[in-house]
Amino acid sequence: MDVTVAEYIRRTVLKIPRDEIKTMLQKWGFLSETQLQTVNFHQIKENISQDVVQLCEENSADIKQAAVLDIIYNHIYPNKRVWSVYQMNKTGEETEFFDLTDFKKKFKRRLRSALKNVTINFREYEDNAVWIRIAWGTPYTKPNQYKTSYVVYHSQTPYVFISVSVLKSNLPLLCQALVVASNYHDIREMELRSHSLNSLKDIVFKRYSQNFQTYYPRPLQERNVAPESGDLRIIHENRNERERIQRVNQEVFGDGPQPKLEFAQYKLETMFKSDPKMGVLDEKEPFRCLVKFSSPHLLESLKSLAPAGMADAPLSPLLTCIPQKARNYFKIREKKGFFPGSFVSP
Amino acid sequence: GVFAHLEMLEARAHEAAVKQEETEQQEEKLARLKARVQELRLQRDELRAKVDLQQKGQLGKEGVVSDPAQPSARAVLEWKIKSVKAMLQVFYLTGISGKLTKRGVCFCISTAYEGTYLDSYHLDLLTKAEVQIHRHSVPIFIPLEQIAKKYLQTDIRRFLSVLSDHLNAYAGRRYQADQLQGRFSDRIEGTLQRNSLCNLLVFNYNVSSKSKTFPFNARLLYGDLCCSLPTEVTVSCTPDAPASLAETAAAHSDLFRRVALHKAFCSFSSAEESVD
Repeated sequence: MDVTVAEYIRRTVLKIPRDEIKTMLQKWGFLSETQLQTVNFHQIKENISQDVVQLCEENSADIKQAAVLDIIYNHIYPNKRVWSVYQMNKTGEETEFFDLTDFKKKFKRRLRSALKNVTINFREYEDNAVWIRIAWGTPYTKPNQYKTSYVVYHSQTPYVFISVSVLKSNLPLLCQALVVASNYHDIREMELRSHSLNSLKDIVFKRYSQNFQTYYPRPLQERNVAPESGDLRIIHENRNERERIQRVNQEVFGDGPQPKLEFAQYKLETMFKSDPKMGVLDEKEPFRCLVKFSSPHLLESLKSLAPAGMADAPLSPLLTCIPQKARNYFKIREKKGFFPGSFVSP
Repeated sequence: GVFAHLEMLEARAHEAAVKQEETEQQEEKLARLKARVQELRLQRDELRAKVDLQQKGQLGKEGVVSDPAQPSARAVLEWKIKSVKAMLQVFYLTGISGKLTKRGVCFCISTAYEGTYLDSYHLDLLTKAEVQIHRHSVPIFIPLEQIAKKYLQTDIRRFLSVLSDHLNAYAGRRYQADQLQGRFSDRIEGTLQRNSLCNLLVFNYNVSSKSKTFPFNARLLYGDLCCSLPTEVTVSCTPDAPASLAETAAAHSDLFRRVALHKAFCSFSSAEESVD
């Protein structure tokens, strides 16, 4: 077995939390159950990884199999990477019959025709998602297994989720291969980024909770928020206002959990409006300013601002439009619906 | 003298008259009040009777029959609410229901397949200027934009109908594929290859004949997105399989085109049981 492969497997195993190592190796399926039983999974990870490498040696693992283990790890822990969303366009109206074998063939062919030194692995999952792992080399060097890009694509959708890591220069090539393989015409990057892959999917696939007005009777008891439990001596003076805020919040954010984003960034290119007598910024130049909201869970925190009394309800549409507009990077220009209508074109 | 006496008599008469008037007035007043009391008692009794009736009604006792000509306002309101709810339920069950909103309409399309209710999808439309889709929860792989471009401005009914056809067909195809994977996983070799729209299914399955099993490969293409049956089916067996199996393959191919996937597999199982 190649020394680099052995080292790669060792390092991959070290990334996995100790309690999960056995399950992940079972998912991998490269080592037999009998082989796995010879490993003591309670020892320190250093030793576990050495034992695993030893077993892989017995089975003569090659880089393709090692790559599969890496895909499995990243599929279970996708939040360790930053994902960007790309949108593809096509003009034709023919029905799509996504054929997986066809897709894989076209993708590999396109990529390899431009760059021979790449390792490409595919893995399909139950939810119609195809995971692609690409390790990049150069025309003169073998693929570097530690410089990988990941692509997640759901068939017959125009969205691709890409986690690039280091070599951004290979991005155009990757995009081209995706467009060709999926029968689209072009691709552009959306202004939407997060660590949480599933939340990005929720946003663009419209799986997040939206509050639609329907007559279908939802049991009213659900909506009556838990009665003011606890101390009956506490009287809420502004109960009407609290109820109004709850109602408005629910209309905007819906009932369910919000998609998980870590930040929203607003780049202002607007004119500074001051009292003319103050004479600040006499030159009529836009005041460059960047406002960034960060949070472990931005949308949930926005949802709780008004009920916590820290902001007025309803919140500014600039904040509440994030899931619907599917973006968390905004450029705010002057005037006319200061709303960020224009996408940043590639 | 006499005048003084007369004056006195006059005064007395006057007093007596006044007193009598007073008494009469009081008696009148008393009579009126008594009558009022009677009235009020009567009203009270009526109300009591009504309350009793309502209570009995709520407990479901078949007691006193209420005056049909005068149902209580509350009963009427309750009946109205009940019949409106029933009407809305009926609309919901037909698969397309809507509610007017401040800026337009919100539609709900519910899908079903073979009597099982599946997912519901929503569309929030603005109707002030031209008709626009404000928000929706339709899956991204359903060609919503195409359908909207064709029909939304000119014929909303047609738009909803076509969209509903797409969604119901998708729900039906997905249901069949899920059933196949769930109930007949022992007959499927390897994985069932599918896609988001469930309009291309490729899988290998086992067919037993004369106590031997042969692998068959099936490729089902659903060319019509509004249909939950395939338009093209290819069933093939390995080259070294006996000739009789070619007929079976053709028969299966035909069956898949006419019958729901899981039902086709049901019939395979029962056919094989009866043969062996």
